[in-house]
Amino acid sequence: MKLLPLFLFLVLFVAGISGAYAVEEQMSSVMITSYQISPEVLMRNDVGTVTVTVKNMESVKSINIKEARMLGRDIKVLSDFYFNVGRLGPGESLNLSFTIKAGYTDGIYYPKVLVEAEGAQNIRYRTQVKVDSTPLTIGVKDIQEDIFKGERARIELVVGNPRPNTVTAVKIVTDAKEVIPSEVFIGALSSDESKVASFNFTPQTKGAHAINFKLAFKNGDNHHSADLSVPLNVTESKKSAELILTGLEVESMPGMNVYKITGDINNAGLEEAKSVVMKVGDAEGIEAVHPYKAYFVGLLSPDDFSSFELDVKVGENVTQVPLIIEYKDEDGILFSKTEYISIERRQGTTSSGELPVSMVILGVVIAILVIGLIAYSWKKR
Amino acid sequence: MIEVLTNPNEFFEARVKGEESLRIPVLIVLVSGLIGGISAFLMAGISLEMLSETLPPEALGIASTIGGISAFFGAVIVSLIFWVVIAAIFFGISSIFKGEGNFKRTLEFVGYGFIPMIFSAIISAVLIYNFLSTVQIPVVTDPAEIREALEPLLKDPMMQLSSFIGILFMLWSANIWIFGLKHARNLSTKNALITVGIPVAAYVLYTIYQLGVM
Repeated sequence: MKLLPLFLFLVLFVAGISGAYAVEEQMSSVMITSYQISPEVLMRNDVGTVTVTVKNMESVKSINIKEARMLGRDIKVLSDFYFNVGRLGPGESLNLSFTIKAGYTDGIYYPKVLVEAEGAQNIRYRTQVKVDSTPLTIGVKDIQEDIFKGERARIELVVGNPRPNTVTAVKIVTDAKEVIPSEVFIGALSSDESKVASFNFTPQTKGAHAINFKLAFKNGDNHHSADLSVPLNVTESKKSAELILTGLEVESMPGMNVYKITGDINNAGLEEAKSVVMKVGDAEGIEAVHPYKAYFVGLLSPDDFSSFELDVKVGENVTQVPLIIEYKDEDGILFSKTEYISIERRQGTTSSGELPVSMVILGVVIAILVIGLIAYSWKKR
Repeated sequence: MIEVLTNPNEFFEARVKGEESLRIPVLIVLVSGLIGGISAFLMAGISLEMLSETLPPEALGIASTIGGISAFFGAVIVSLIFWVVIAAIFFGISSIFKGEGNFKRTLEFVGYGFIPMIFSAIISAVLIYNFLSTVQIPVVTDPAEIREALEPLLKDPMMQLSSFIGILFMLWSANIWIFGLKHARNLSTKNALITVGIPVAAYVLYTIYQLGVM
């Protein structure tokens, strides 16, 4: 009879262990198998997504997912909770995305994902989100030492990605009018990768120039940019063609307000000036007229000169006529230079407009003679 | 002959008694026209030089020759026509004052009045030549613009002096015509003065107007 209580205890103990084991097995059938962050590494204030994969680990039983949420202390979660997600079949998985926004401090953060399923144990899963605000770098790789007015100079810029992740839509833009192209698209740039972009700069004025470049890229869906200012000093070329005007003469044509401008155009430079054309510039009250509206000089070798002639009709108040000299260098780049020619107002003749004294005396003598003779003839009548 | 310039009254008084003869008057008008032709030749040269950029050189050479000669002979013919026309006008006006005498006599005496115009033509030719040797000739592309371009040239003081001298000599001619008409048409001095004065005054006023003074 003493063995009965011991038997009952053993039966109840075994039954109790078996029951507890069965309950524990039933509650652990859902788990988070993986997660992805886009972009992989955020920059300050960037918006990104965390996508977790929830999988039903049961082989025969479906699970009802009641709620899924993300909680973050230093990472702001922008998206709402998931309620009543639905049933997840045996072995099936489900991706749940949460929108997050990085704060203003770099670092590694661990927002938690909570998943509640009916008849299953709640899941608390920690994700790892990195915030690294290291920007892309842009710098001058190569540029020629001397930059001359009117001559093309090549500027090579290098863009580097020191970030731990790939960035996309990388491009360099400039609003400088004398720089071509105005935009170079690089595309995706992997971590620790660099690419070179080339620009051509053809300055039309000498002196200090600052060319501003803007580097634009995307980290995920977030736009970022960096600026680069390249200071350059432009000087006159020591060899280029230098066209100067000499022996200028302005001859008036009476009555028509038309002036004939003649002179010589000289090449005082060391290089040839090609396709030299001289024109009268556009201005109010100034109109180029035939026969020489423009004058084609053509090729002008160094130390060579050519005469030219231009005809211009000017308004009453015009005192200066703009004269445009256009020429091209060996590369076909067009140069333009404007000279202003003074116009002296005349009454249409080269004479001073006044009678010489001798002529006045002649007139008076003739007048006296004629009047005297007429008077004499009447006296003798 | 000098008497016609200094004392035309006595000259025509004596001449009216003689036979009518147009030989000397024709010669006077012809000489006046020939010398005036030189001025016309020079002015024609200006007009054609204005077109130097428009006409080809060969055409310009031919045009200059033909134009100059035409202007020269044109001036001679115009002088002869002017002589006859002015004589006819005087003859007509004097008829109002019951003038007597035939047209040939009027023509003869009016012809003598062209002697001052010979001096006028010589002086004008010298002045125009002197002016043209210093003036800048404008170039026009359209022949229609020649008149517009010539206008300021004609208003140059030198050209105005030439016209002024022309008026003086015209007045001198008018003085001779007054006495010529007086004897040719047997008019009173007053009527002869009116006969000559009306057309001459009209001519002088027109010339002054052309000069832009009025």
